[in-house]
Amino acid sequence: MTADHDDEFLAAASEAVRRTPGAPALAALGWWEMLGALDDPDARRAVFVLFRAQGRELTDSTALAALLAHPYLPDAAPGTVGAAILRRSGRRGAVVVLPGPLPSEHVLLDRPGIGVSVLPVGDLTLRPVAVPGALALHEIDLDLDSLTPDLPDTTVVEARARSVFLGRVALSMELLGAAETVVDLAVQYVGAREQFGKPIGTFQAVRHLLAWARTDVAAVEAVVAAAVALDTGAPAGFDAVCKALAGRNARRACERTLQCFGGVGFTEEHPHHRFHSRVLAGDALLGTSTELARSLGAALRTTGEDPGIPRTLLRSVPS
Amino acid sequence: MEVAAFADGLEAWLSDPPASFRNACEVIPTFGGRVAAMQGLMADLFAAGWGRYGWPEAAGGLGGSILHRAVLWEALARHGLPGMELFEHLEVLAPTLVELGPPAFVAEVFPRFLSGEEVWSQGFSEPGAGSDLAALRTRADAVEGGWVVNGRKIWTSWSKYATWCLLLARTGTPDSRHRGITAMIVDLRAPGVEVSPIVQANGTDELAEVAFTDVFVPADRLVGELDGGWAVAMHILSSERGTYGWFRHGFLYRQLLDHATLGDETTDVALGNVLVDLAAVSAVGLAGVRSHEAGIPLGPRATFAKLLLCAAEQSAMDWLHSVEPDLAVGVQDGETTVLRQHYLFSRIVTVYGGSQQMQLETIAKQLLRLP
Repeated sequence: MTADHDDEFLAAASEAVRRTPGAPALAALGWWEMLGALDDPDARRAVFVLFRAQGRELTDSTALAALLAHPYLPDAAPGTVGAAILRRSGRRGAVVVLPGPLPSEHVLLDRPGIGVSVLPVGDLTLRPVAVPGALALHEIDLDLDSLTPDLPDTTVVEARARSVFLGRVALSMELLGAAETVVDLAVQYVGAREQFGKPIGTFQAVRHLLAWARTDVAAVEAVVAAAVALDTGAPAGFDAVCKALAGRNARRACERTLQCFGGVGFTEEHPHHRFHSRVLAGDALLGTSTELARSLGAALRTTGEDPGIPRTLLRSVPS
Repeated sequence: MEVAAFADGLEAWLSDPPASFRNACEVIPTFGGRVAAMQGLMADLFAAGWGRYGWPEAAGGLGGSILHRAVLWEALARHGLPGMELFEHLEVLAPTLVELGPPAFVAEVFPRFLSGEEVWSQGFSEPGAGSDLAALRTRADAVEGGWVVNGRKIWTSWSKYATWCLLLARTGTPDSRHRGITAMIVDLRAPGVEVSPIVQANGTDELAEVAFTDVFVPADRLVGELDGGWAVAMHILSSERGTYGWFRHGFLYRQLLDHATLGDETTDVALGNVLVDLAAVSAVGLAGVRSHEAGIPLGPRATFAKLLLCAAEQSAMDWLHSVEPDLAVGVQDGETTVLRQHYLFSRIVTVYGGSQQMQLETIAKQLLRLP
């Protein structure tokens, strides 16, 4: 598949999620079939491009939770199962959050050291999270201490690592899509908005802010593409590298572009804050950029081995 | 030789390397000492063949592509080589020299470049022509059998150690800007050449000011077309910006791996962010190398690689400063001297090879198409 082909697919995916977001877009794109063919590089790229399109168009679907659940239950019917994410709240401790709309049958929860519980959706106490950015989120009220696993911890080690890899790369793609779109919007704005009798995009201070924002995005694009291409051949920490970069740089891009929009960019009616909120939410799931950077640094310091560098990248990335 | 077989053979060679490799991996606090050590290593790499892959046979190489060279420098760094030193100029100048230089002259001289026997320098900037390179005034006037060069170059990298200089000179009218510039190869041993090394703020002396007074250059030393020097310069700068990140990133990893244990919990986030920065340089750099191999010009996208490399180099050295403050306030023994040189050099990477502000303008104008 060529770069042009990738661009075409991204355009098609963006149009599908814009026109008929959610389940119809997944069906129209054949996403569920491609999810079953992740070993195929073309199918894999297409699976992940959906998330870039969702980030660009600020739409949502059951795809992220389904992708997270896929390594545990690869034979689940489309839309029936989604995996929740265990995250840490500053004040409340462990919080279980389900990304995206509800699956039709079961929510899967994996707790490292304990194991996997498969919970019927109808039995759950759900609290919707209301943040802008068109991202459906539900916190799930669970008594974690009394919850017993259906799949023991020792049997899910590989599936867990795979799930985290897929989820981090998918979220990196969403972050990329949101960041590149907010940069595009800012480029349009500074070309039109005039001060001192000319477009503010003629001033170097503004131009250089946006050139840096575009560079932030280019870095994410290259590393995410490498993660998708390497897939199971990636070193153990590459998903953490990928998402740390995506979260950090997408936030930077939002900050730089906000400065270009000026006051209007900080209003409720302006789209900037919806992209920014989506980026902040994406950065907060499956490891914040700061948490991931800390763990990568600690790993290098204590082992002398970099956990995220493909030693023979040249040979392992297909042309 | 296929790239994979090349990589395997090189790994085997590096598992029991010659004395010249171990010598080049030592802490050598002077730039001149490091140059001499690298020349020894280049000679052995040439003799064993590893240093000849990736260069055309007509120029004394053994064929193959930039991927062979990308494998070579990554492997050398991973096995302990701390830097390319002046052989980074091989990756900056040689691709253009081989492609656009006079074939007979290249065939004669280029093998000595590859073997480390002769060093090259880059004569672009002038006292009055920095970011505005098209304002250069060093003249080359046509005479019987060649050219006579008069003028002054500054920041001419590696001149103190060099035999040859790839020079940009004015062959058109004084106001012909980028249209009246020609690239030519000047023998720095020729009468009328005066090299004055510039000692930099970090103590090394790879830069120089070079004066040319009635220096004769034979007619067969043009690179590219007469009055086509701007295209040659852009070829070099695009290659430097687009692929150099890959060649340099391995040596930044080397710094991290060599000093990783110096930090503690308080520096882990900074170290992790350096790894993240380097992952970006690696991925963007590899894309640049592959694009170069496929013959697809990177164009303005090469600028991303340059900006990301600068950012990574600075974050790496910021981390180094935080875990080894000796470089700022300690007794300057050999090791500390080298770290200090690296740290201070990282503060100027946003100036050489096109200032950061010019790079940002390139993105703003050519990619974002701002007004």
